[in-house]
Amino acid sequence: MRSLIGAIALAGMMLTASDARAFDETKYPDWSGQWRRPPGVGNQWDTSSPPRKAQAPLTAEYRAIYEANLADQAAGGQGTDPTYICIPDGMPRAMNVIFPMEIIIQPHVTHMLIEYLSMVRRIFTDGRDWPENTEPSFMGYSIGKWIDTGGRGRFDVLEVETRNLKGPRSFDASGLPLHVDNQTIVKERIYLDNADPNILRDEVTTIDNALTRPWTVIKNYHRVRKPVWVEAICAEGNQHVRIGKENYMLSADGYLMPAKKGQAPPDLRYFEQARK
Amino acid sequence: MPYRQAIAAAALTAALCLATSGAPAFDDAKYPDLRGQWIRVAPPGQPAFDPGKPRGWGQQAPLTPEYKAVFEANLADLAAGGEGLWPGYDCRPPGMPAMMTAYEPVEIIVLPEVTYILIDHIHDSHRRIYTDGRAWPEDVEPAYVGYSLGQWRDEDGDGRYDVLEIETRHIKGPRAYDATGLPLHWDNKTVVKERLYLDKANPNLLRNEITVIDNALTRPWVVTKSYRRNASPRPEWQEYVCAESNNHVRIGKESYFLSADGYLMPAKKDQPPPDLRYFNRPKK
Repeated sequence: MRSLIGAIALAGMMLTASDARAFDETKYPDWSGQWRRPPGVGNQWDTSSPPRKAQAPLTAEYRAIYEANLADQAAGGQGTDPTYICIPDGMPRAMNVIFPMEIIIQPHVTHMLIEYLSMVRRIFTDGRDWPENTEPSFMGYSIGKWIDTGGRGRFDVLEVETRNLKGPRSFDASGLPLHVDNQTIVKERIYLDNADPNILRDEVTTIDNALTRPWTVIKNYHRVRKPVWVEAICAEGNQHVRIGKENYMLSADGYLMPAKKGQAPPDLRYFEQARK
Repeated sequence: MPYRQAIAAAALTAALCLATSGAPAFDDAKYPDLRGQWIRVAPPGQPAFDPGKPRGWGQQAPLTPEYKAVFEANLADLAAGGEGLWPGYDCRPPGMPAMMTAYEPVEIIVLPEVTYILIDHIHDSHRRIYTDGRAWPEDVEPAYVGYSLGQWRDEDGDGRYDVLEIETRHIKGPRAYDATGLPLHWDNKTVVKERLYLDKANPNLLRNEITVIDNALTRPWVVTKSYRRNASPRPEWQEYVCAESNNHVRIGKESYFLSADGYLMPAKKDQPPPDLRYFNRPKK
């Protein structure tokens, strides 16, 4: 009996010694390294369709908005793609992973660092509820839950829900629009491929008032084990200039130039006033 | 009976030993607790690089005569309505070492091989400080955040790390120390050394002793920055998107403003309007 008590006491001491903040990473999947879009895959939202050919379940109203956007882009405009002025892609577009991504798993939060515009996603897995007053953001507010689908004592799926998003946003550079009410909800199931642990899948379901039904696409990422991280600074070489509601371009020799055929120059009324 | 109890005891102990030590668990008790949200400690208003001294010449940066003249010209440009040498006006990142002023709150994630410093400001979010013992790589693409190697130190010998020493190289420009345009050398050979540690008397105060070695300086310049930990267990992280509401427009080498009603306007007195030659080509 005394030996049993002694063992329990020893076990208690061991728990105390190791308790604390020790993070048992063997409970979580290994998502370390750098995740990139698969070779040959573009930046379009639905990679199962060619660029600009996605079968998005848009409402009639938003189909018309998308058509007008395509016409504007064909004329040299930016349509409903808002990122030309270097605002973040936001969710769900950030998961196109235009530049590589790193995932850092900790028990209470999973960080996703996406090199383009240094976008950061914090996915809280500490059991919190939706906060009452949170400023909307392009990346939104994400709550996640780890699931052990195989019952093997190790988590294998991260389920994420993202709300509280800010706009303007589109699904990709084609200008495929999300609703301007910004009531988007994004649900994700993220997991390693069963056959190849160097492939990460993200089943992304977008619920949005521009859509007639939830739209699910699967994004795939390939792992690079010893990565090189390259900074991607949009503002550094951005040739787009927005003045009022018009987009212009900067020429290679540093002059303002039209982005569209026949585009009028900017109104310089404040320069004329300054001269008087 | 005692024999069976002894076996049970041994089995329980062995099971717990395996459960607690068999895995490659990351024992973060070896590292200082840097979790939470860190907010700069500095006088109110636009922060200076050295928070303990006034902005501008009051910083007493040990500039070379050449870079004193550069700074003087920058101040004259600012006084005339220009943007001087601060790259942040058109949303380019401050880079190292200015980013450690923490214009927005800081999060630090400590893992054995790398420490991440995330700052939600412009595009300076991701510092990776490699603590895996690697040497400087031969080919590094310069970056505004630079390339950082770190080493953990147990300075008081209590078996727990207390100081992270960092060296950062391969930094890209243009950069300045703060919004006054206090310049770093254009050759971008800057080396930044840091000692990051918790205050011994107050674990909610983080210190960063920053030594800047730069060819615009006559000697290394040492500045200590402090950050206080947000007491909230669930601090709010706000997105700061510079490009969203930036009213500065750069066209060629000139900077202009956007008026509230969406028109281009001069930033300086008597500034000529932009050259619209590409709009004025005669129709053929």
